[in-house]
Amino acid sequence: MSLKTSIAAVALALTAAPALAAEGERVQITGEIIDTWCYFSGVMGGPEAVVGSAHHTCALWCSAGGIPVGLLGDDGEVYMVLKINGDDQSASGDTQLTLASHEIVADGMLYKRDGLNYLVVEAVVEDRGITNLNHEDFGVVPGFAIPKPKK
Amino acid sequence: MKKLIAALAILATPLATSVAAQDFSEGSTAKSWNLYAEVPATFEAEVVDILCTVAGDCAAQCAEGRQLGLLRSADNVLVFPNKNSQSSFNGAAYDLHPYCGKMVDVDGLLIEDEDIQGATNIYLVQKIKEAGAADWAKANKWTKVWAAKHPEAKGKGPWFRRDPRVNAIIADTGHLGQGLSPEEAYEITR
Repeated sequence: MSLKTSIAAVALALTAAPALAAEGERVQITGEIIDTWCYFSGVMGGPEAVVGSAHHTCALWCSAGGIPVGLLGDDGEVYMVLKINGDDQSASGDTQLTLASHEIVADGMLYKRDGLNYLVVEAVVEDRGITNLNHEDFGVVPGFAIPKPKK
Repeated sequence: MKKLIAALAILATPLATSVAAQDFSEGSTAKSWNLYAEVPATFEAEVVDILCTVAGDCAAQCAEGRQLGLLRSADNVLVFPNKNSQSSFNGAAYDLHPYCGKMVDVDGLLIEDEDIQGATNIYLVQKIKEAGAADWAKANKWTKVWAAKHPEAKGKGPWFRRDPRVNAIIADTGHLGQGLSPEEAYEITR
């Protein structure tokens, strides 16, 4: 290998490597499908209040509105869902919408980049429905999610 | 030769480290949302298909409905725009979609919250333009795109009260997902 070739190879490796897709890891994660903006931003309160039944209507709105959904794992990590059961419509897709606030067991591939976890869910192994009944503690979040009944 | 290659590798490491600590708030005119961990940030980036970039699933890259990211030029960090500038539960994919594969300038709010696990490199994009262009576009397309897709849902009130898919789910399982009527759900949450 000539000097020029070696230098070019090293330079190419240094610049091209970050652009390549990361190596994935097969995982099985149990957790709740959440809306990530409310969770990360704190715009509607603390993390405990923007999950579960209390936040279910808002989770539907956010998912339908194209806000990324995540799987909040039992380990406390958030896994940004990029594809689920073959559906790559991660911005307002039907599959993720029907799972809003549900506790699921997901089998798929995990990728990590720049502090975020990304998950390609190949199969929802189990759908347990909404199991976090935190409306008993927090009511509904946000408060206007359930319209006042007309008399 | 080995020494030369090693030297190049060593040179690259501190460069990347110093850029990573860069402050992107200079020049930003982003409006505050009064969020605890928001930081104004304007930067140049390539709009990328995240599924392609992180998982190599590129056959349908940049197709509508896939989440798009911002691959920041200064440090090659992948920033995830979770939100556009609208205040009604809207993501940023529609605003970024016309620019997929292109270099852009963006302005908005970065979320970096050490108290919430994983809250890093999350972004609310408020303005976007092709890199170097003069005029900014507001990142507020979502509701217009939704209205064009759902002419049958035209009516009074915000889109999220009229969305057919959301309303079908609520009609089926209720606002709390527990099968309660709106009246029952309202009463037990007051």
